[in-house]
Amino acid sequence: MITAKGLYKRYRKTVAVDHLSFDVRPGVVTGFLGPNGSGKSTTMRLMLGLDHGEGETLFDGKQFGTIRRPMNEVGALLEAKPFHPTRSARNHLRMLAAGNRIADKRVDEVMEFVGLGDVRRKKPKGYSLGMAQRLGLAQALLGDPQTLLLDEPTNGLDPHGIHWMRDVLKTLASEGRTIFVSSHLLSEMQLMADELVVIGRGTMIFNGDVDTFVREFTQSQVVVRGPETAGLTEALKAEGAEVVSEDDALVVSGLEIGKVGHVAFTVGAELHELSTRRASLEEAFMSATGSSEEFVAKEPVRAAEPATAAAEGEAL
Amino acid sequence: MGLLVTTGVAVLLGVAARNEPLDAEILTTAVNGGASFGLPFLAVFMAIIGIFACGHEYRHGTIQPTLTSLPQRSRLILAKLIVVTVTTVVVTALSMAINTAVVYIVWGEAPGLFEDPIGTALAGYAIYTLIYVLVGFGLGLLFRGVPSALVVIFLMPLIIESIIMGLAFIPALDWLVPVVKFLPFTAGSRLMEIVPPDFGPGSPDFDLFSRWTSGGIFALFAAVILTTAWILFKKRDA
Repeated sequence: MITAKGLYKRYRKTVAVDHLSFDVRPGVVTGFLGPNGSGKSTTMRLMLGLDHGEGETLFDGKQFGTIRRPMNEVGALLEAKPFHPTRSARNHLRMLAAGNRIADKRVDEVMEFVGLGDVRRKKPKGYSLGMAQRLGLAQALLGDPQTLLLDEPTNGLDPHGIHWMRDVLKTLASEGRTIFVSSHLLSEMQLMADELVVIGRGTMIFNGDVDTFVREFTQSQVVVRGPETAGLTEALKAEGAEVVSEDDALVVSGLEIGKVGHVAFTVGAELHELSTRRASLEEAFMSATGSSEEFVAKEPVRAAEPATAAAEGEAL
Repeated sequence: MGLLVTTGVAVLLGVAARNEPLDAEILTTAVNGGASFGLPFLAVFMAIIGIFACGHEYRHGTIQPTLTSLPQRSRLILAKLIVVTVTTVVVTALSMAINTAVVYIVWGEAPGLFEDPIGTALAGYAIYTLIYVLVGFGLGLLFRGVPSALVVIFLMPLIIESIIMGLAFIPALDWLVPVVKFLPFTAGSRLMEIVPPDFGPGSPDFDLFSRWTSGGIFALFAAVILTTAWILFKKRDA
């Protein structure tokens, strides 16, 4: 169990993390989401005492800095390639293991587990980003910890690697461990996470389960399909719904599915489909964090139509 | 590498001066590997290790996994300090033992090796090397990198202090004369002397401190660097 209370970090005039408080429960994967520059990495660094700020984080009731051999209790993966260039991957892990009284045998075990057994004596500076992430996970798992903090662990992994990472984290969570993982891959997070902590500009936007987040930050839609929907469209609009034609179906927003069915029954419309369309986590994320983006890029400018461009050319 | 160079100096000296009587200066130079020529070779090599001990952590970003595996910062620094100190003491003792063996092979004797002033100067050499390494360690931690620490640890004794010393000879800048005895690396080098330095006729009276007081100034300088670096390491973000 992770309990974060009042985490706060300021860089001169910028508040990076603004009094964040949340709990991360064991037995589930908790996703940590936020736009670029929202303070996710800083929050994780604050939790582990790498950065100094205000607030407190307890890992099963203990502050990270007070745990004598922390790799046996909390495993962390924060940066992709923090490796010494002259040290082999195995020796990198052996060095960290030695400070936590972890046997060399365990080093070989975790390297095999993450699929780097054959290259364990190679220097990680030659590793790809995906291999470096696997080594980072091996490092986090070294002490077989009860809690894992992983910052963008799927960065650089190929689709097989992402699938593998998802399975690993879900399995570890099912063993009763506490898993706190940040990611930009929202489709992946939708498959992986059970609960979410969503932040924007260092402040809390949402803390709860994924379904509630999607429900809270998106409007559910009702899909209606039938042979004749013109009358139904008018009736639904009269009830205040927003109706959009999509292929041979109507997509209705602003009315519950039961109410849409009732309107169809009232006007005598024959229906072949009446279903609810759930929004994706990505849609919910965009809706929730749209105003919290730290770095906003310009929309791409469309190329002018050839005829228009030619006309403009002549005018010039 | 340091061992090889210091042994090389002893061997070279043995070959060149094997037919001369073994006086205090030759014996000391052979055992300390030419430390009196400027900066002791061994101190330089060991100081690089001292700088790497912390500087490399920042250069390659390994400070993050290091602190997530050992989050008690003072414990981490203390562990590194102990390793660097023990390594320096062992390597210095080994170097002196090897060079003494070279002296015995060439001259068949090492008169007054454990007596004053040779014994004292050699003990001073070992202490100087250790303090110099600790300064390097502190600078690596203070600057959180390798290049700046390397520049300071070489620039300060070889250029800055030499310039101040040289300027003190100019009558118009004689106010620098009392400063010279407080220059840390210059003061530290007194630890290795067999005879007090002679700056030539007409040179200003620097009123240098005794061997051990000068060593104390050097040690105090190392302590200030180390303490500042240690305090900042505990306060700064990793």
